[in-house]
Amino acid sequence: MPPVYQSLIGQETSGLRNLLMNIIEIKELKKDYPLGTTIVPALRGVDLAVAEGDFISIIGPSGSGKTTLLNVIGCIDSPTSGSVKVGGREITSLDDRQITDIRLNKIGFIFQTFNLIPVLDVLENVEFPLLLMKKSEAEARKRAEKLVEEVGLKEYAAHRPSELSGGQRQRVAIARALVTNPDIVLADEPTANLDSVTGASILELMRRMNELEKTTFIFSTHDANVLKYARRIVKIKDGVIEKEPAAA
Amino acid sequence: MKLILTIAWRNILRHKGKSLVIGIILFTGAFLMTLGNGVISGMAAGVEKNIINGFMGDIVLISDAQKSDNILLNIMGTSIEPITTYRRIKEVLAGQSYVRRSLPVGKNLAMVLDENSATPGFAFLIGVDFAEYRKMFPDNFKVIEGGYPAPGERALMIPTFTRDEFYGFYNIWFLPAGGTLVKENLKKEALAEIKSLVVSTSVVMMGMTSGTNATNDIRFPVKGIVKYGALNQIFGHFCLVDIESYRECLGYFTASDMSAQVPKEEKKLLGMEGSDLDAMFGGEEIVVNGSKAAPKKFRTVPAAAGVKTAEDGVYNAVFVKLADGFPYKEALARLNSALSAGKTGVKAVPWNKAAGPMGSMALIIKTALFLFVTLLFCVAVIIIVNTLTMAAIERTPEIGMMRAVGARKSFIAGMFLGETAILSAIFGGSGIAAGIAAVNIIPLLKISTDNDMLQILYGGNFFNPLLSFSGVALTALQLLAVTVAAALYPMRVAGEITPLEAVSRD
Repeated sequence: MPPVYQSLIGQETSGLRNLLMNIIEIKELKKDYPLGTTIVPALRGVDLAVAEGDFISIIGPSGSGKTTLLNVIGCIDSPTSGSVKVGGREITSLDDRQITDIRLNKIGFIFQTFNLIPVLDVLENVEFPLLLMKKSEAEARKRAEKLVEEVGLKEYAAHRPSELSGGQRQRVAIARALVTNPDIVLADEPTANLDSVTGASILELMRRMNELEKTTFIFSTHDANVLKYARRIVKIKDGVIEKEPAAA
Repeated sequence: MKLILTIAWRNILRHKGKSLVIGIILFTGAFLMTLGNGVISGMAAGVEKNIINGFMGDIVLISDAQKSDNILLNIMGTSIEPITTYRRIKEVLAGQSYVRRSLPVGKNLAMVLDENSATPGFAFLIGVDFAEYRKMFPDNFKVIEGGYPAPGERALMIPTFTRDEFYGFYNIWFLPAGGTLVKENLKKEALAEIKSLVVSTSVVMMGMTSGTNATNDIRFPVKGIVKYGALNQIFGHFCLVDIESYRECLGYFTASDMSAQVPKEEKKLLGMEGSDLDAMFGGEEIVVNGSKAAPKKFRTVPAAAGVKTAEDGVYNAVFVKLADGFPYKEALARLNSALSAGKTGVKAVPWNKAAGPMGSMALIIKTALFLFVTLLFCVAVIIIVNTLTMAAIERTPEIGMMRAVGARKSFIAGMFLGETAILSAIFGGSGIAAGIAAVNIIPLLKISTDNDMLQILYGGNFFNPLLSFSGVALTALQLLAVTVAAALYPMRVAGEITPLEAVSRD
């Protein structure tokens, strides 16, 4: 990441941020969930711009809308209203196939509960998205091996997820999220199910991968201890983004 | 594809219990389908072999005036229209290279008379030239008592089934003239009362036709007791009688009096009709346990005299056998065309139509088996659909995650189809193999039956399922249909799982 850009990250300088290429642009995003006869607003008009190569933490209490915001950005959920552009493309008007292709080619996911394919080993889990992209087996295997090595699981390449610890599983998830060289990696509370030491190592890894792969990372958390890893912090409360605090 | 199959295979191993349940269903279904197809093929082959080759040929010629094609097992009292043009028919048949052999027959119902019984019984009569009959059907039955009639001899051949029926109805055990009781051939009830058993060596019958009132009461000497090699319970309903006696019984012109039919009144005037009916029952003895008891007088039919030729007389049908391998439908069409051109006044009908309920019964059993297999399909599909759908729902987080990282709906659907296809290939394939083995082993067990329905199902007296390559291919196709049908709904359910559902379950 260019030093000039890194110096700008985390500062209340939206004007300057707009000078850089925004990989994500959200305007007036609203998301409502029906709950019986009532409508529960999860997002009440979110505006957010994320620059390419950013490493952002979205923080907020439970129910504040963090996960919903990540889901909408990751094309997992659709907005009730507003505009969401990912890589310059408005996603609200896309059909299921196009949305799926965006998820495959542009976005990597890291889930709180890892969500690995139980019947595939570490290497196979990591190369899974590449095979979906119709990459050759050799190419997929080579790239997957590189990522597995980078996340420090070379020795566990042939292990199934059930044979790994929580931290190791999350490392696999990170490798899988990065294997396609996505523009954005979304991580929803990636450390929630991990002890503090493992959680810290995962965040270190994510940050290292951010620097290594130049990938935009957005992760949600309600753990104040992990904020120090973020270059930019977006605080959300009751479905609205609050004034962004300075990053660590 | 490799990825889909890899995941599918490992999922099968991961969910061994469910896979085994589905596998057992597929195995059982495939096994029963194979066996069912084998039974159907065996029945078709057996029916063809036994009915066509042993009873009535491929095609039956009947009068144009005949309303129903069913001439064999028609409703009692419904007479079969006479055919008076056999000479011309024979000429037409001789010109058809695809006709291997033919046999003109009389076929109608006769009332069996017995002065001791208030209620008369009935018997189906088939009038034939015995020598020609044996050429047409050389080994369809065995004479177990008595012997074959000599050429021109007046004779009645009673099948064992009819003899048993007669015994049940009249309490008389029929024997060939000069024959003795053969204990092993006796019906169980007859054997139990052998000491007081009433036996007779002739049967009095009165032909039944709706066309004329010219039928006669005829005493038929029993020449032999026959047992059919197959379908004895069905073919055994028909007594064979020489064609001249048959014609006299039915009031048809015989070869000896060929001309227009003589009304009964005229016969009376001509002295052709017996004036004393009682005398009919007074010519022969009824023997009780070998000793003479209640001697009665019967009159026997005089031997045919001055027969010009039997072929000039009246028949009711002509059984036709085709040359091996000649297309059946083409033969039927060409024969009908030739018969029409020859102004024979007859038409050719397929054997199964002429056989009436017997032909239909085969179709009914075929349909029943088909329905059974279809029902089996449905049950298998429902259970597999249910199991796979549950599996799809249980795997929501996994499937949702796959969708989240970019798997299309088609990939998820393919994964489920792959699982079902692998299970079908392994378990269904084993089921088909087991079915083929069973079809080949069953004939070795020589399972036999005396039951009418089962004899049709078996296609003969022995259960002899038969499986051709096309039969196996049909089962494989049915299995494929089950696989696709069973996977469709779970595929849809799995395909509809969204990444959001995976996230929500977290």
